[in-house]
Formats: sequence, structure tokens, C-alpha cells
Amino acid sequence: MSALLLGGCGASAADRDALDVYAASSLAEPFRELSEAFEVAYPGTDVRLTLAGSQVLRLQIEHGAPADVFASADPEHMQSLVDAGLVEAARPFASNELVVIVPLSNPAGVGAFEQLPRAQRIVLGTENVPAGRYAREVLLRASQQLDSDFATRVLGHVVSEESNVRLARAKVELGEADAALVYRTDAISSDLVRWVEIPDAMNVAASYVIGVVAHERGAQAAEQWVDFVLSEDGRAVLLRHGFAVE
Amino acid sequence: MGKRWPVLLLATPILGLLVLPLIALALVSSPVDLAAGMGDPLFAPALWLSARTTVISLAIVVGTGTPLAWWLAVAPQGRTRMVELVVDLPIVMPPAVVGIALLQAFGRSGLFGGQLQILGLQIPFTTTAVVLAQVVVSAPFYVQAAAAAFRRVDQDLLIVGRTLGQSSRGAFLRIAVPLALPGLVGGAALAWARALGEFGATLLFAGNLSGTTQTMPLAIYMALESDVRVAIALSLVLAAVSVLLLFALRAAPSAWSLLHSATLGRSPRGTRGEGAA
Repeated sequence: MSALLLGGCGASAADRDALDVYAASSLAEPFRELSEAFEVAYPGTDVRLTLAGSQVLRLQIEHGAPADVFASADPEHMQSLVDAGLVEAARPFASNELVVIVPLSNPAGVGAFEQLPRAQRIVLGTENVPAGRYAREVLLRASQQLDSDFATRVLGHVVSEESNVRLARAKVELGEADAALVYRTDAISSDLVRWVEIPDAMNVAASYVIGVVAHERGAQAAEQWVDFVLSEDGRAVLLRHGFAVE
Repeated sequence: MGKRWPVLLLATPILGLLVLPLIALALVSSPVDLAAGMGDPLFAPALWLSARTTVISLAIVVGTGTPLAWWLAVAPQGRTRMVELVVDLPIVMPPAVVGIALLQAFGRSGLFGGQLQILGLQIPFTTTAVVLAQVVVSAPFYVQAAAAAFRRVDQDLLIVGRTLGQSSRGAFLRIAVPLALPGLVGGAALAWARALGEFGATLLFAGNLSGTTQTMPLAIYMALESDVRVAIALSLVLAAVSVLLLFALRAAPSAWSLLHSATLGRSPRGTRGEGAA
């Protein structure tokens, strides 16, 4: 009986090797596309994507999650895994920046970044998720360049802190929040939000890094995945989804 | 006796699974870690918010659930069946579904969002949303237990009470409620525990902000991303409260009957005096 059960679910895994790719939430669309292309290029490999806030994935890897590759939305979370010997070497592969998103109806009438304090209900990432940390950096710069209490006013209107950038976006998509700070790519991939640019002088360059997770299992497929992401084709996919690549 | 051992042996895995994680939770954290966790800025606001919101939600559940439970107990069964189904629904519904449904109902772009906005009310992202989520998920536990307790009350006693001059409200408050009290208290304790543990619906409907919507379970989830010790300290506190609650629940009926028999012991004068008043 148990052989029957095991046999039933093990059938597809037996002839295909699984590759577990842990990636920041904001990489959802390009990585889904890349995993389909990868499975065509390397038949016999089954790519399994785990998407969450980079800090959550880091924690999971620290606790022994069976990840083969980690793609982080900031170098810090990656570096702590490299320092701990859990990731071999990390390479930057894309970059992103923040925008302000508002619901299509734009109830708070935010038409420019300077008007962000008009939004009464603002959602950010937590201080641990890269998007939340970058957002606070942007607000800090705005306080220095625009108005010394800009950050205080905006943070005073924060109604929720989400554990990944896609959850922050969802609150705006649902029309519950007036505004959120998310990556440009998150804004592009949603047709339920409009976005407002953040001036370059106040914006941050979010650098995405990728690395192979160190463990006894063969790292060949993991290295192939990293090479694939860094290849011409991989960069084209990232570009198409709004990421900047060198 | 000899027959029972194999049965218990079969049950060992599930017993172990139920008990071992709790033992581990109690063992892994050193007092230093616990103190560090409790000193974290997330800890006190979450504890205080959980205490506040669960007391309010329990008051709402008991205040509105008691009449409902009474009606379920005394009305003809044909009429109560649909209502009973509705009351049980949140028990089988995944909390995440409850959260989304609450958003669709009371969110700004939800079914009643427009009307609420005219009244100047915004529910998502407020402490009110936390309370609403707790009420929805915990109410069934109280209403079910209360209805069962009321059903056990001998209706003849109420009729006797009425013939002795009690109003129906008086008969309910002075006869039905005291007789059903152990069941009501048990149900309230279960409902309170469920409200205290509410996570999914709160996260989706109320959001996550320390001091406003971040209850203990949400704080555990968020603390895990920054400092595991804080998550463990919060978990230990919640676990301790739950265990205490369970002991109180188990002890309550026997304590109640003890108290009751003690009262009965000096009943002759007591009841006569009350009857005269």
C-alpha cells in the first residue's frame, strides 16, 4: 500500500531531476519564463521556483531548506549566506529601482512623488525585506532633498508593513491602500496599478545577486541555471520584464 | 488490560507529534533568550494589542452569541437548521478565505465599502479589522457550546419560574444562564483561545503594523524574519497562556460543581431568602 502511494507520486521525479530555485518575489515573472525556457534547453531538469521576500528565503536556507540556487533582491541577505558558507559565490545579474504605485482610481490624487504625503494609507515592505529597506532609503533622501519632515509624514501614514513586495502591491491592487513603494518591475507587471516616478536623485539602485547554494548534491544544474540567467537569452528576458542588466 | 497496550502503541506517533513540539519549544529557549525576546520592541505592543482585541471580540461574541445560542436551543429544529449551518461555516472555512471575504465585504472597494466611506469608516488596516476577524473565526466555538449548554437546561424549570412570577427575561437570566454557565464559560474560553490565535484572516484583512494590527501571532511571523529569539519568546508566552486556559477549562466544571454543592449545603435559608426577594 505504501509502495503504491510512493510509486504514484515519485513517477515524474524519477526520470527528471529537480532544481530548486529560491528567488525574491519581484523576480516572479522573468524567472517563471526562464524556468520554462530552461526546461526546454535542459530536458530532464524540473525547475521548482520558491518565491518570497529575500529575507524569508535567506532564513529558510539558513535552516536547511533544499535550495539549489538563491536569487536575492539585495546583496546583504546574500552576503550573510556567503559568509556562513551556505552560498558559494554570488554574482550581480540585474538591477531595479523603486516607483510609487497608486490604484487606477488614484483616490489620494498622487500625481508626483512630492505628493506622496497626500496618501493617507501607505503600504511598505517591512524593514527586513529589501523593498522595504530601499523604500526607507528613498524617504530618507527625500527628507534631505525635498522637505525635512517628508519621511516622517509618509511613515506616519503607513498602515501596513508587508513581508514581501508583492503583498504590498496587492493592497494597492485591491484598492485598500492609496499608495505603495515597489519596484518598477512590479508596477509594470500589474494592470491594476498606475505608477509615479521617483526622481533619480532620490531613487536607489536595487542590485539583484544570484548564487549556487552549497551542499553535497550535484551543483551542475544549479550552475547551468546561473549561467542561463546571465546568458544573452536570460538577460533579454529580464530586460523585457523591466529589469536593468549590464 | 493486555489488549490495551497495542492500541496505545498505535497511538504513540500521534501523541508524540502533539506533545514533542511543545516540549521542544519549552526546552530550546534559555532564560537569556527569553528575556532578549521579551525586550524586543515588537513584543509589548503585540501582547497588549492581542489582550485588548481579544477581550473586545470576546465581549461581542458573548453579548451577541448568547441570544443566538438561546434561540438555537429553544426554537423548533426545522427553523434553526440553516442558521446553525451559517454559524458553523467559519470553523470549516480556511482563515485566509475568511480574510479575503472580509476584504470583499468591508474593504474600500468591497461590497459595503462605499456606504462605510460615506459614514467616514475605514475598516481595513485598523484595530477594528483585527476585532472583526477575531469575532468571525471565534464566534462559532462559543455559540455551539452555549447552544449545547442551553439545550441541556430543563425547559420545565423555566416554566415553573414563569408561573412563580418571573418575566421571560428574568427566567432566562436567573434560571437558564446559571444552569448553563459551565458550558457558557467553556465555550467562551475556547472562543477566546481561537481569537488569540487568529492569524490568516487578520494578516489579509487588517494588515500588519506594530501597535495597530500586529497581534501576537503576526508578531511571531514577522519576528521570524529578523530575530528568531523574539519569535520563540512570543510563542512561549502564547503557548503558556493556551496551556493555562486549557487547565482552567478542565478544572472549571469540577470547581463549578464544588462551588455549587457548597452553595447547596447552606441552601435552605439561602434559597428561601432569594425566593422571597
